[in-house]
Amino acid sequence: MDSSQFAEILQLKPLHEGIKNIEVKGVYIGDLLSIVMSKAKENYVWITIQTHMNIVAVAQLLDLSCIIVVEGMEVEKDTLEKAKELGIPIFSTTESAYQLALRLSDMGIK
Amino acid sequence: MKEISMHILDIATNSIDAEATLLEINIEDSKINNSLKISIKDNGKGMSEEVKIKVTDPFYTSRTSRKVGLGIPLLKENCEKCNGYLLIDSYLGMGTKISCFFERDNIDRAPLGNMGDTIMSIINYARDCELIYTYKTDAGEFLFNTKEIKKILQGADINDTSVLLWVKDYINENMLGISI
Repeated sequence: MDSSQFAEILQLKPLHEGIKNIEVKGVYIGDLLSIVMSKAKENYVWITIQTHMNIVAVAQLLDLSCIIVVEGMEVEKDTLEKAKELGIPIFSTTESAYQLALRLSDMGIK
Repeated sequence: MKEISMHILDIATNSIDAEATLLEINIEDSKINNSLKISIKDNGKGMSEEVKIKVTDPFYTSRTSRKVGLGIPLLKENCEKCNGYLLIDSYLGMGTKISCFFERDNIDRAPLGNMGDTIMSIINYARDCELIYTYKTDAGEFLFNTKEIKKILQGADINDTSVLLWVKDYINENMLGISI
């Protein structure tokens, strides 16, 4: 599905306007980047509270489908610019990782 | 990373890949100063000004096998989260020194981790590189030098599994003796 539709269903705020098709094979929740690097897989949705530019590098390295920043954490400008440049969708929500995980589950992503 | 020792291992392997023949790892752990200082210094090929600026960029790597190189960017991010910093001192042909500082009691500071394991792994990775490791705390100082160890070994191989395992225990025991 396209990223704006994805955002609408999950009530997420897209943080840059680049639209791309999102393919979701799974979900990983984590904030320790080195662990995410070893556990998340291609086309996974990544839920985190981290906002440093390094998250974009991790998403690119693993070919993640998108990053969702939870708990309303503010994302740095350079993080967003890099994500836009590389076509990696970043969304934000004020919900917790758990609440968002429930929504993803309701969407049929197990 | 979960432990700071994992970062040390990561940076040290960079040094060895940069053809270092001498690697100096220094840890200063002080409750009195509320600081944890780490430096990793090598005599490898060093970096140009241009590369030095790029290595803190997560999208730069000297490897061709991947698009991003995260060793230094991740360590820098972790230092800064703990009100610390990371400095790079490097000249082409002269080697590189990475220094970093963490606020010791910061809640986000990762534990140092198992340095015996880390030094053992570094020795095993660095076949032609000598290693000097210093661990200093408010309670004392411990110095480990592969040159000295090799003298004691009298020709036995430091990379022999039983020797490496002894090195690991020797380091951990000595560090425990001056832990704070």
